[in-house]
Amino acid sequence: MDSIVVKDLKKTFKLSKKQQKLEPNSSTQKVAVDAVSFSVKKGEIYGLLGPNGAGKTTTLRIIASLIKADEGDAWIEGVSVKDHPAEVRKNIGFLTSELKLDDFFTPNYLADYFGRLHGLEETVLRERKEALFTQFGIHPFKEVKVADLSTGMKQKVSLVISILHNPNVIIFDEPTNGLDILTAKTVTDFLIDLKAQGKTIILSTHIFELVEKLCDRVGIIIHGKMSLSEDVSTLMKTQRLEDVFFNLFAASEASYA
Amino acid sequence: MLKIKTLVFKELKRFFTDRRMLASLLLPGVMIYVLYSLIGNFTDQSQTVADDRVFQVYTLHYPEPFDFMFELFDHEIEVTALSAFNPDDLVRLENRELEMIIVFEPDFYATMQAYTVDSGNPAPHVEVYFNSAHLESRLIYQHTTGLLQAYEQQLSNKFDINRNLDAVYNQATDADFSRQFITGIVPFLLMVFLFGGAQAIATESIAGEKERGTIATLLATPTRRSDIALGKIIALSLTALVGATSSFIGVMFSLPQLINDESFTLAMYGWDTYVLLFVIIITTVLIFVTVLSLISAYAKSIKEAASLATPLMLVVYIVGLTSMLGSSQANVLYYLIPIYNSVQALTAVLNQTITTTQLGLTILGNTILFATAIVILAKAFDSEKIMFNK
Repeated sequence: MDSIVVKDLKKTFKLSKKQQKLEPNSSTQKVAVDAVSFSVKKGEIYGLLGPNGAGKTTTLRIIASLIKADEGDAWIEGVSVKDHPAEVRKNIGFLTSELKLDDFFTPNYLADYFGRLHGLEETVLRERKEALFTQFGIHPFKEVKVADLSTGMKQKVSLVISILHNPNVIIFDEPTNGLDILTAKTVTDFLIDLKAQGKTIILSTHIFELVEKLCDRVGIIIHGKMSLSEDVSTLMKTQRLEDVFFNLFAASEASYA
Repeated sequence: MLKIKTLVFKELKRFFTDRRMLASLLLPGVMIYVLYSLIGNFTDQSQTVADDRVFQVYTLHYPEPFDFMFELFDHEIEVTALSAFNPDDLVRLENRELEMIIVFEPDFYATMQAYTVDSGNPAPHVEVYFNSAHLESRLIYQHTTGLLQAYEQQLSNKFDINRNLDAVYNQATDADFSRQFITGIVPFLLMVFLFGGAQAIATESIAGEKERGTIATLLATPTRRSDIALGKIIALSLTALVGATSSFIGVMFSLPQLINDESFTLAMYGWDTYVLLFVIIITTVLIFVTVLSLISAYAKSIKEAASLATPLMLVVYIVGLTSMLGSSQANVLYYLIPIYNSVQALTAVLNQTITTTQLGLTILGNTILFATAIVILAKAFDSEKIMFNK
């Protein structure tokens, strides 16, 4: 059963005059995502691989209902993102490096705050918070203001807050970006743990090893188009993921030029 | 409703547990009191002359019948009779070594008595030299010229105005005097403080969250955009109200210090006046906060939000100045125009002339703007172009 279905997503952004100068043909707009389609089965980890500016974040933001697609739609457990964005938000956990926490508050306060905004009952909220704080070693820092936490601890708190409401679908945009190796290991272990719990996960990254290690399937986005969507194990039978990516990238560059 | 409460409490915690933020909210009220008290004190001191001060006055051809002029002055005057006008004495006047030189024509008194307007000749002349930058010189000049003018009018007396010294011709009470002063200044000051308080927190609220990246975290939750808008506005309004109340108390308590007049009173205002003022203040704060939040939502940064709010600030200040006209707008339809209606309604309340229609239309006008701005703000929270600057 498909937990996430993405069909023919297209998103175009208007460019500022400054951005237009950087475009090769001085175009007034940029197609960030063009006819992107893929699906993710329940309990799978799907890796979205691509260079910077390829359209990974835009795709994930559309699926998370933060921005609207110009064309196409996505369905989270059968619910249309376009038609029922608020309903979709209840069922997903979304984490990106662009999602920041207010420096002034403590992890404890922020967990309560976001838990309530997700509509969690107080007893459930307390239990979830306790379990996740223990798992991520946040307890000693739970009353420390976010401003005074290390980058790794901030990321852990963000992670906890994004899945506090126990969503079935989790969308992580470059979850290990900028993290030290220990914190990155905590995050990858946690993703494996979530998969074991039967959660459906999409993660975007440009780290091949992460996809090879964690993902069941991979989608390669280049210049806003889905160049490939395949089982990781099938792909790796014949060649390394890195080679697949660079071959596709070279072909795309040639046609793009 | 629970989510709005959660949003409100978080914003309030942000404001009221941050000492610096709290100080910036409450300090204006204290500062106003201190500043106005100091200004009143300085003004009073600058207008006061020591009791034992002896004034130096030079006279030329001074007519004896005019001696009464100096006898009526509050301070001792040392009069020096000159035999001729010496220009060096003007330098002494400039250097504050003396307070006044009064020069009469020779035989002034006789010439004056013989003079008739019908003759067509120039009237007898008195020259009074003084130094307006010198308090003592200014005081004796005002005293002397005042008496000379009164005397001159008496000579050509055709009728008297208010001759009876025992009668009270001005029927204005202390309350009238105080009300007139308060009406002229307080609505303007209130608008300045209400806008300033709202501006300090509202321009930062959404633009700051966009800048820090925290707005996306909030938007990723299943909270309705209208709830986010309302939660923010309620919290910001409550915070701005605390600041406004502090400033209002500061203004009202400091006015007697500023005016420094025993006849000044606030006794004419009962609790009903303060309730009406509070109602108008609440609706005004709501529109300030909502409009400034809208500006903050559309701005790409806190700096841009502050720049965009400046024209609105100028409008508020200029409209606030209309309270200095002293009376409120008679045409009730004007009470539907936000900002202007608040100034007029505040003026009318302080003048104790507000009508139910004026108050009702003010609340209606402000509520319409508030509701419209909330709807636009909720839409702004749903717009990726605005929230993510795309």
